Amino acid sequence: MEKRLFLASTLALVVLAAASPSFAHHGTAGYDMSKTITLTGTVAKYEWSNPHITLLLDAKDEKGQMQRWSLELSAPLLMKRFGWSSTTMKPGDQIVAEAHPSRNGAPVGISGTATFLLKFVVNGTELPHT
Amino acid sequence: MQIRRTVSMATMTSIAKFALAVSLLCCSSTLLAQTTAPRQVAKSAGARSSSSVPDLSGNWLIGPGSPSFDANDPAGKNAQQLPMTPWAREKFNAAKPPFGDRGTFDKPNDPVQEYCDPPGLTRLYGYPWQFTIVQTPAYVYILFEYYHEWRLVTMNQPHPKDVDSTWLGDSVGKYEGDALIIDTVGLNDKSWLDNVGHPHSDALHLIERIRRASHDLLQIDMTFDDPKAYTKSWTTQRTFKLSSDPMGETMCSLSENEDFQKNIMDRTVSGAPAK
Repeated sequence: MEKRLFLASTLALVVLAAASPSFAHHGTAGYDMSKTITLTGTVAKYEWSNPHITLLLDAKDEKGQMQRWSLELSAPLLMKRFGWSSTTMKPGDQIVAEAHPSRNGAPVGISGTATFLLKFVVNGTELPHT
Repeated sequence: MQIRRTVSMATMTSIAKFALAVSLLCCSSTLLAQTTAPRQVAKSAGARSSSSVPDLSGNWLIGPGSPSFDANDPAGKNAQQLPMTPWAREKFNAAKPPFGDRGTFDKPNDPVQEYCDPPGLTRLYGYPWQFTIVQTPAYVYILFEYYHEWRLVTMNQPHPKDVDSTWLGDSVGKYEGDALIIDTVGLNDKSWLDNVGHPHSDALHLIERIRRASHDLLQIDMTFDDPKAYTKSWTTQRTFKLSSDPMGETMCSLSENEDFQKNIMDRTVSGAPAK
C-alpha cells in the first residue's frame, strides 16, 4: 500500500488555562504554545523513558521534504495515568500526531505534559487524550 | 489506640520497602492497623480518631500547582521580588531554571535536571507526582513518587544537639489539633526551594503545618525562616488532592536525562537533527 505522508499544518490558537501551568521536569520555554500543528507520518522510535517519553516520527514538511520530528510527551508514570503504555506504538506504525512546535522552527514539538495530552491516532485508532 | 486507615495492597506494595524497612531500621513501632482493598487505592476516611491523631493518610497529588512558592507570584513572573539578601540574590541571579519567566532550554543549570540532584525538601511539593503519608507513633514517613524520595519525621522529640547538614535536614514533628507540625533544620544549601530557582541557605528553619482541609484536600502551610538568604521570614501554602491512583515509579537517570536533553531540549535551541 502506497504510503502517503503529508504534513498538514493547522494553526490553532490554544488558550491555556492560566491556573494550570504545564510543568513537570521543565517548562515550555522552547515551544510556541499558541500554535498546534498536525503531523502525519510513520513512527521511527518510541522511547518510554524518564524524564519524558520521546517519539521520533518521519513526516513531510510543507515543501514536501521528509523530516524527522522529535515529539516530547509526559513522564511514563503520568502517561500511564492518561491510559498509554510502553506498547502503545512501535516503529513502522502509521501516526497522526498533534504538537506545539518549537519556537526556533526545528522539527521538534511538545504533545503532552502533566496537565494536557494532545490528539494522537495510531494505525487508525485514536488514543486517550485530554 | 487504633487509627482507622484504609490502605490498598497496591499502595502497600509501593511503600512497603520504604516504610517497613525504615521502620525496622529505626526500631520504630509497627505500622498502625491497616486493611487491604482491590488495586485501586481506597480513599481514606479522613476522620479524627479519639486519640487526637489526625488521619493524613492517602495518596496526595498536587493540583493545579505553580512553579514559584512566592504566594504573590505563583507563576514566577516576578521571581526576583522575594526579600533576598545579597548572598541569596547572587545565587538567584546565577540560576537558570527551566520554569517561570526566566525559564530556558538553553543550558539550564537546574541541579535536578543537570545532575539528578535531590530536589530538596520543599521542591518535592512542586512536582506533579503523588506522595503518601505514613503515620506511626514514633515516626511519620512521607514517601514521594518523584525519584522515590522519602522523608523521616521523628515525633515528639527535640532536634539533636549537633545536626549535620543534609539534603533533607532533620525533621521533628508533633500534632496540634488537626495538624501535623514539622520543624526542620540542618539542611545544606544545594537545592532550590521551588522550580523558579529561589535559593535557601544552610540556616533555613522550615515549619510545615499539614492538615486535612477537607476529606479530599490536604493543605500544607510553610514558613521559611532563613536569615542568611531572606531579610524576613515568609510563608506559602500548597494544596493537594486525594488521588485514587496507586503510587508508582518515576526515577531520575542521568543517561536518560542526557538523551532527552540532546533529542528534545537542545534541538529547540540549535535545531540540530534528531537521530
